[in-house]
Amino acid sequence: MSTAIDTARLSPPPRQSLVKLLAWGVIFATLAWSWSGAEIRPLALIKDGANMGTFLADFFPPNFHDWRYYLEEMVITLHIAIWGTALAVVCAIPFGLLCAENVAPAWINQPVRRLMDSFRAINEMVFAMLFVVAVGLGPFAGVLALFVHTTGILAKLFSEAVEAIDPRPVEGIRATGANLLEEIVYGILPQVMPLWISYSLYRFESNVRSATVVGMVGAGGIGVVLWEIIRGFYFAETCAVMLIIIATVSIIDIASSRLRKLFI
Amino acid sequence: MTKAAKVMVPAIKVTRLHKTFNCCKALDGVSLDINPGEMVALIGASGSGKSTLLRHVAGLAVGDSSAQGGSVEVMGRPVQARGRLATDIRATRARIGFVFQQFNLVGRLPVMTNVLTGALGRLPLWRSLTGLFPLEDRERAFEALTRVGIPETAWQRASTLSGGQQQRAAIARTLVQRAEIILADEPIASLDPESSRRVMETLATINAEDKTTVVVCLHQVDFAIRYCPRTIALKKGQIVFDGPSANLTPSTLRDLYGAEADELTAPIQGSASYITDTALAVAG
Repeated sequence: MSTAIDTARLSPPPRQSLVKLLAWGVIFATLAWSWSGAEIRPLALIKDGANMGTFLADFFPPNFHDWRYYLEEMVITLHIAIWGTALAVVCAIPFGLLCAENVAPAWINQPVRRLMDSFRAINEMVFAMLFVVAVGLGPFAGVLALFVHTTGILAKLFSEAVEAIDPRPVEGIRATGANLLEEIVYGILPQVMPLWISYSLYRFESNVRSATVVGMVGAGGIGVVLWEIIRGFYFAETCAVMLIIIATVSIIDIASSRLRKLFI
Repeated sequence: MTKAAKVMVPAIKVTRLHKTFNCCKALDGVSLDINPGEMVALIGASGSGKSTLLRHVAGLAVGDSSAQGGSVEVMGRPVQARGRLATDIRATRARIGFVFQQFNLVGRLPVMTNVLTGALGRLPLWRSLTGLFPLEDRERAFEALTRVGIPETAWQRASTLSGGQQQRAAIARTLVQRAEIILADEPIASLDPESSRRVMETLATINAEDKTTVVVCLHQVDFAIRYCPRTIALKKGQIVFDGPSANLTPSTLRDLYGAEADELTAPIQGSASYITDTALAVAG
């Protein structure tokens, strides 16, 4: 009798096991449901293996003949990321505060949040295509595309940081007769600054990656080069450009994560 | 003295103030007058409404808006009436220094900046937003820190200070504010006995030297009797005692609070038993 009770205690209650089982069922059902839509054909990898081998062989050895040109364009890509992020940070500060429940009333924060949602919902590639039409081919279109998209993302992250602050210091500032702006500068900003800096650096990292792609629609930088050589089947050159991108992005990632650690 | 008191505008005037939270009445028709220069203790068990009352006086919370909702005036200026804050509440708040139980300093800012925020109420916006405090205010801030006994911490981050030091920095903030009234909401509830004594003494000194009106919410009757000539006792949102602290004998407390009286007279971690004894001697 007593042993029966003991073994029952050792396994989780039946309800928990059932929920776990159901969760796994839902996950597998979702994967199965999207199989045909995504045209998953694992056999193609084996059947066309030889073709892919030839294709891959074309990439090596990488051709660094025009490396000066590639590097120049890579630096322009960095410039795009820097300005896209800087403008976004500046705009995300007021938008982020207006999105926060504990700063702005619902009739302000709800519309601003929806506006930020729309900034985020549209990928930077789409914005890049639109801005290429608006301001012409070149890096400026890329800057604007990153700027709009990143503003949407940073405003959301910034406002979440603001909503998570300790309200007591803010009340302390309010009790001195300070107005709303002074409450924000002395009560809120000191509390959110480490997170805001960390988020901005993280977005800069991501924007360096994104900036290599927006070029593909003509918005300047290394992406333009990449798009041209891929279309021209210059695979050895493509490989060289890809290696340069990988190196740059890795360096930026490592540097910025080091920097971010300083602020947390 | 009594003649002058009649002519004086009360420092704090609360009239039939009601406050209802979701479940219960936190303030139930509270009326009181406090004259300039008084040092008053506000006592009561937890949940008796003493902190709520103090927050209403500072305009950090608003009372019920129903017809019976009362009003608060500070130095003759309205703070709130019938559940609405006065439009010039910020100007009035600038004259009231508030000291919180959890100090409410901005931990990442230096103590000096925290203390300087007391001047925000009277600075033009361009100065406060850029942080360019006038020399006069910076001098005043340093003087205030010296006065509360922690000038050496001026450029440390507030979060690196001990609880007692943080509370004294918070009091320094009210000095820079040139507050005419200091409202202290359980200023010593999070502190050890020695820090509690220093904080209470700092408040008493400011009251005596600057003639600043001080109202202190307290959990322990001992401190009320020791530092405040007048005590107002609350129970379930109503004033049940208002008079000289010396009249608060243990038997009076038992009559007022029944079993809750133990919570108010409980000695504070050992060392306070001495205070209790003195208090009883004084009261008896």
